[in-house]
Amino acid sequence: MLDNLTAAREQMALSLSFHIVFAVLGVGLPWLLLFAEGQALRRGDLVWYALARKWAKAVAVLFAIGAVSGTVLSFEFGLLWPTFMERYGGVLGLPFTMEAFAFFLEAIFLGLYLYGWDRLSPRAHWWTGVPVAISGMASAIFVTTANAWMNAPVGLVESAGRTVVAEPLAPFLAPTAGPQVVHLLVAALMVTGFGVAAVYATGLLRGRRDAYHRRGFATGSTLALALAPIQGIVGDWASRAVARYQPVKFAALEGLPRTSAGAPLSLGGVYDPATDRMRGAIEIPRGLSLLLHADPTAVVSGLDVVPPGDRPPVTVTHLAFDLMVGLGTGMIALAVAGLWLWRRRRATSTRWFLRAVVLAAPASVAALLAGWVATEVGRQPWIVYRLLRTSDAVATQPGLELFLYVTAAVYAVLTISLVAILRRLATGAPMPQTRDEVEVRA
Amino acid sequence: MTAADWVLAAIMLGLTAYAVLGGADFGGGVWDLLATGPRRGAQRALIARSMGPVWEANHVWLVFVVIGLFSGFPRAFGVLSRVLVLPLALALLGIVLRGAAFAYRQYGRPDPSGQAVRGTVVWGRVFAVASTVTPFVLGVAGAAVATGRLPADGSTGALAPFRSPLALIAGALALATCAFLAAVFLCRDAEVAGAGPALVADFRRRALAAATVAGVLALAALPVMWADAPTLAGRFGRALGPAVASVLAGAVALVLLWHHRFGAARIAAAAAPAGLLWGWGLAQYPWLVVGVADVANSAAPPATSAAVLIVLTTGMILVTPALVLLLRVVRRAAPTDGSVSTPTGSSDVRSTVEA
Repeated sequence: MLDNLTAAREQMALSLSFHIVFAVLGVGLPWLLLFAEGQALRRGDLVWYALARKWAKAVAVLFAIGAVSGTVLSFEFGLLWPTFMERYGGVLGLPFTMEAFAFFLEAIFLGLYLYGWDRLSPRAHWWTGVPVAISGMASAIFVTTANAWMNAPVGLVESAGRTVVAEPLAPFLAPTAGPQVVHLLVAALMVTGFGVAAVYATGLLRGRRDAYHRRGFATGSTLALALAPIQGIVGDWASRAVARYQPVKFAALEGLPRTSAGAPLSLGGVYDPATDRMRGAIEIPRGLSLLLHADPTAVVSGLDVVPPGDRPPVTVTHLAFDLMVGLGTGMIALAVAGLWLWRRRRATSTRWFLRAVVLAAPASVAALLAGWVATEVGRQPWIVYRLLRTSDAVATQPGLELFLYVTAAVYAVLTISLVAILRRLATGAPMPQTRDEVEVRA
Repeated sequence: MTAADWVLAAIMLGLTAYAVLGGADFGGGVWDLLATGPRRGAQRALIARSMGPVWEANHVWLVFVVIGLFSGFPRAFGVLSRVLVLPLALALLGIVLRGAAFAYRQYGRPDPSGQAVRGTVVWGRVFAVASTVTPFVLGVAGAAVATGRLPADGSTGALAPFRSPLALIAGALALATCAFLAAVFLCRDAEVAGAGPALVADFRRRALAAATVAGVLALAALPVMWADAPTLAGRFGRALGPAVASVLAGAVALVLLWHHRFGAARIAAAAAPAGLLWGWGLAQYPWLVVGVADVANSAAPPATSAAVLIVLTTGMILVTPALVLLLRVVRRAAPTDGSVSTPTGSSDVRSTVEA
């Protein structure tokens, strides 16, 4: 039997994780579509046209699931966290209202895009994709901004548990908004790039070495690998913002129980509450002080700056963070290797590289989810940092556990069918010879 | 009117749009479930074709209403979330399954080699059933808040909204209205697609039947309202204008259907539920949840309401032309499409189903 708080948190984690995968593909894929269709238009090129038609189908299915799973979240805010919405719904209202319109434009123009191939001129058709790409990105910006405000709430006055004055633009003023938004957008493009690249890398590995597969692979892998080092820099920026505005979360991310001068950098390891130390971690002496302050003797705040009741679960937060950073570092290494191979014109013929890109697709999704786990678990026990505890926000109705199991079952079934459809889209398309052939297959 | 009142009016506008446009999509699923006779396949193909380009945009109206509520009336949103747990959870389940099933059925259908993705037939059924359940529970949820018998903390239990006869009638009325709207819209779509007089006649018959059912349910709801929602009944005078307009619109829609004037019938048909919603809204104002949450005690701080109103207005100005563009383009026949949109008769509709 799960208590309401656990059931609600697991439900939120499940619903968010499920939705985020579709959301990030919805952010990234339209840009790839615009690129491929743009190439097809400019050069009258059939291969690019075939790629665009194929990707458009994937976008159509993914967007439908993203739309309904996003709707689930907007209801769950209230069903699971009624007190949170009661108190802060008005503060979060502005970015979410903007998000609603971005979603609207995205849905409208996606309808035009998907059903306009034969109803619009090629140029007009390309243009209908532009609002899809822009509003997909805008949606992600607005929603992440709302989340950033929960991490660093600013701009409101409360009295007796009710928000009496709220700066309407409060979420946009949250100091964590900038790094969080950029970090997510780059992640979205990387997941998209690796996802696309993996499909065509699989084809190349199976000997389909035609222009269709090479270009599909090149487009996806270039996007993802070019962004990998940039994401390293953005991630550093984001973690510095956490260190500054959420020192307790930072201590949990880095696994630092005690405030110390010359703090070590812990890789891996679990937190042992009995000894108040990290167990099994590889420690780089003074590493954390050096990384954060460029000074090996600098003081870094640990978990002990707040009483135990205000600390997040350390092990989960720390391991999720290390997983994200580790995978990200691996992707940067892959980017270096890719650059080296590309300069020798061997990027599409080196099997270990293709295999690594195939693995990078699930790895990038894992890194994305680990990042969300790190930031969300790391904010606990607060739903809005230092203003409202998650345990005070949760619904009191019985039956939340059942709600969780039903959601898990439904999402499992949806995933199975989605994989079957995407697999069919991804496999067995030899090079089309004519435009008609493209249309029949698309 | 304060900024909060205007936000409420915008939410009502969104709710009306969802009831009409989203409602017609749910109704399409109802007719998919009830598809019968030799043209069963053609009926389903026409429904899928009509919904395909627009259902996601129509669905966004619901998100708009939800977000408008929590932005503009956070306390009311909290109360609604506590008292309507079961109907909202069921509606969510229906919304997820309906949307996913529609996409899966469409993209899992047989490829040129004749092979469908496993489960595609089942998703077709799921689409139809979920489309039928969802408007019913949404109707229950809508009417339950008018009864004044739901305490703010939801302590009467998850089943409480289903214990009100008015709510159950409202659920059935919502379902019948969706079916009616869908059938009227499909008459028009069948005609424009040149799908043949038999298919048009199928949906015309269905529209007339659904209108009759909806009319009977609306009449039945009136006496029940006096017993079940006294606050609403006491202010029925305010609702008189929109209620009369709703009845008239329904009658006009029937006459137009009878005379095969489907284009005009669509507008009259849409006005019927719109009048009902606005009448209900006016009678219930200023309550959002009768007896518990009203505009004064649940609105966001004034500065927030004003900002939300500005975003709502700007957003509407951006979205409306885009929506009009979408509707115009999808009505345009696709010259090289070779599917139902070429005006060559119902055989094309059939071939898309079988393809």
